[in-house]
Amino acid sequence: MRRANAISGFVLAAIAILALLVVIPWQIENGPAGMMSPRLVPQLMMGAVLVLSVLLVLTNLEPAGRDDPPPFSREELRALALISGVFAVSITLYLTIGALAFGSVLVAGTLVVLGERRPLIVAGMPVALMLLLWVLFYKILGTAIL
Amino acid sequence: MEYLLIAIQDVFTGPSLFWVAGGVLLGYILGAIPGLGKATGVAVSIPLTFYLDPVSALGLLIGIAKGSGAGSAVSAILLNTPGEPSSAPTALDGYPLARQGKAQKTLKMGLFASVIGDFVSTVVLILLAAPLARYALLIGPVELCAILVFSLTFIGGLSGGSMIKGLIAACFGIFFATVGMETETFVPRLTFGFLQLDDGISLVPMAIGMLAVAEMIVQAGNLRELDAQTERMKDSDNPDDRRITGPEWRRCAPVIARGSLIGTIVGILPGLGASVGSFLSYGATKRASKTPEKFGTGMIEGVAASESADNAVVPSSLIPLFALGIPGSVIAAILIAAFILHGLTPGPRMFTEQPRLVADLYIAMLSASLIMLALGYAGQRIFAMIIRVPLRLIIPGVLLFCCVGAYMETSSVFSIYIMLAFTLIGFLSRKLDFSFVTFLIGFVVAPKLELSFRQSLQLLNHDWANLVKHPIAIAFFLAAIATVLAVARKEARQSVGTIDTKREELS
Amino acid sequence: MTTRRTLLATAAGLALALTGLPAMAQDEYPTKPITMLVGYGAGGQTDLIARASAKVLADQLGQPVNVVNKPGAGGAVAANELRGMAPDGYTILFQSNAVINAAPFLMDRVDFKPDDFEYAGMITAYQTGLAAPKDAPYEDLTGFIAWARENPDFAYAALSAEARMYMDRIAEQEGLQANAVPVQSGSEMVNTLLAKQVAVAFSGGIHYRYPDEIKTIAPTTTFRHPSAPDVPTIEEAGFPLAMDTRTVIILPKGTPREILDRISSALKAAETDPEFVKVTETANIPIMYYDAAAAAKEMQETYDKNKVILTGGN
Repeated sequence: MRRANAISGFVLAAIAILALLVVIPWQIENGPAGMMSPRLVPQLMMGAVLVLSVLLVLTNLEPAGRDDPPPFSREELRALALISGVFAVSITLYLTIGALAFGSVLVAGTLVVLGERRPLIVAGMPVALMLLLWVLFYKILGTAIL
Repeated sequence: MEYLLIAIQDVFTGPSLFWVAGGVLLGYILGAIPGLGKATGVAVSIPLTFYLDPVSALGLLIGIAKGSGAGSAVSAILLNTPGEPSSAPTALDGYPLARQGKAQKTLKMGLFASVIGDFVSTVVLILLAAPLARYALLIGPVELCAILVFSLTFIGGLSGGSMIKGLIAACFGIFFATVGMETETFVPRLTFGFLQLDDGISLVPMAIGMLAVAEMIVQAGNLRELDAQTERMKDSDNPDDRRITGPEWRRCAPVIARGSLIGTIVGILPGLGASVGSFLSYGATKRASKTPEKFGTGMIEGVAASESADNAVVPSSLIPLFALGIPGSVIAAILIAAFILHGLTPGPRMFTEQPRLVADLYIAMLSASLIMLALGYAGQRIFAMIIRVPLRLIIPGVLLFCCVGAYMETSSVFSIYIMLAFTLIGFLSRKLDFSFVTFLIGFVVAPKLELSFRQSLQLLNHDWANLVKHPIAIAFFLAAIATVLAVARKEARQSVGTIDTKREELS
Repeated sequence: MTTRRTLLATAAGLALALTGLPAMAQDEYPTKPITMLVGYGAGGQTDLIARASAKVLADQLGQPVNVVNKPGAGGAVAANELRGMAPDGYTILFQSNAVINAAPFLMDRVDFKPDDFEYAGMITAYQTGLAAPKDAPYEDLTGFIAWARENPDFAYAALSAEARMYMDRIAEQEGLQANAVPVQSGSEMVNTLLAKQVAVAFSGGIHYRYPDEIKTIAPTTTFRHPSAPDVPTIEEAGFPLAMDTRTVIILPKGTPREILDRISSALKAAETDPEFVKVTETANIPIMYYDAAAAAKEMQETYDKNKVILTGGN
């Protein structure tokens, strides 16, 4: 964790500097006189992050011990990438076709990337879940959710 | 009082009981499904509420609120995906307990703590609504500001492995909470031109992404280990792993009592909400414990603390509504609308003009507590079986429900984008061990704190000497300073260095 | 379980049976359910009136009217979305007209003009005004100004940019010293009045729910409030700052005239609908019906007037 801490400290310090020098002045106007500036709280927070992340770097500078596993395992990064991909495809479908396509592809896609191969389940689960939602919201509760 | 008997008759013979039970059941199911929750339940029940008689409407809404409060503990404990941000502290200890094969015990404790907290708070509402609401009016912006500063001193205790990282997470929580139109100057902050961000980043999609979706991705990355663990995890032969033992009750009783009290008080105060209640109660319990370092590894007290406070918030948030006619929560606001649709004006006049109606409402609320106990007890056996289902079959459904829950918050796909953005942040914070609990506290408390600070500046006429007119505020400021000093001294006594290395080893 | 939809369908069926079929034959619109957007979250004043109106419209039009809350930026998010929708009359927005006649002058990124939309009628007015605790030693604006001169640095609860504008203008003209306390919601505003933390507050009308504790000292409308007919308006007190806000049904630009008229005549029924009248009376919201043509005219006039008040005419 020490190495990861030091690196994330560097990254966070950079984010804080970027926010203080660029994002806050660009995205928040200075308010009228006589009131607390709307920039104050965001600036205080980014200032605090800057100080704390420098501290984080300093307390984690010594070289890592031998048993220092990386914070992300290969499988976790793979899961993140794959599920992000499924979301990207589903949202594209939502914008072009509609909610039904979104839901079915999201469920079926996630099943496939998680290693489910039985066609009955890959096809049946999206149908079952969408049907469940439809019955719950449209039939039992009588509310259109879309 | 003489109306109570009539009221019991009214509620038990009329349609109200049906709606109360329906509300609890719906809330419990929605709460137990990750991604859906109170917000979803209330949203879908609004049209129904407006067509029901007031007692049934209140029964339905209160049933949903109570049921989802108890139900969200289920998903927090079994899947580590709290249905509501207010159940996030429940997951900290509940999930480790469930993975140790003690799912049923933990679910029971969650349920009992929920029901007790809820019941205590309901009784307080019935007996003390009018006087308490008058006292609550004494809590103006200046006092609220002091109370919030005091409650922030609990953040340090919840920061997990490293204090520095916990504080960084809290600062980011506060930073993200500043997005949107600032209330005093009407200057939009960090909206990047999106009108959808004018009202700020909405808590529900943010919490769904951070708590549920991010957790699902982490679990997807550890499918094999988790499923292997599930295989090994057979029901132990020891019945003590399924029920709550006597010693556990003795340890948890004061915790639940404190949680109920904290939740009730938080509920009365304007606009704080259930999350503040459960975080405060968890923090206070951890601080009071003799073994604070064990929290987060499966302490049943953690579950009791968080759930009792979480559920105590709901009934007492109706106190300002009944006694003054001021809605203290979203549910109260919708109730007002439902009352008005039936030609009733909520507020102190209700007690003199409609005593029978008020008694009916009280009985409906009390029966909701009991129904929740019965339903929850029957349900926990069934729910405990979820833990046996292979994760690859659970994750896709959870992701779909998360999208539905996020979407329904604003009826727009923008909420799903918010959810996904915070999924990434939640994933990074989990893996790099930046506490998302302190992030959430910062996010929830900061806007109230900034606003009450701005209000205080104006009310005190920019002169801190005027603070002498606010003794309650001074008391809380002093308490905050005392807490910080006490923590600092404790930290100083034990050498900081050794603690850090010890905690690093643990993580 | 009886759902709202079946209730509505039954109600619609009944209405049809009573009025007979000719109504259907004359008019094609509507042939499917209508979606009514509301640019606020559920539970507020406007949402309440919207839902009550939706019920009347559904009864009259013979099709369900589904209310969808699309909150954000005081309705600007919903209005923005409506602008891009098909002008077929099946998506309508029920909103305070402030989103078009005031928001563009108060928010940099909102540039609506009355011409960007069509209007199918207005139904209620907001009793906006300055409110004070019941036992305050002033009854109207003139009395308040006299009191404020003696009590500089009084506190004033401001819920919105308009709210702040009122006190700024009065204070500037009369040389008063006011501390504007920002509040976030109507209930928070009421709270400050009940607890007597502020001397005066700008209210959108909900303070009439607390007749024992709160009084109106100056309506900021062009008309005297039906709930407090004896209190002179801000204009009567010599400040030409009155800005009327009303609930209006907004449709996308290009919606056919017949559809607007169909909705506006259906909306007229709300005036006499017993259920609607009961709701508005309980909530202290006066009914002031305008048909489609009158609504469009009112929109343009208030837009021009508010522009002068809020920006000085530039």
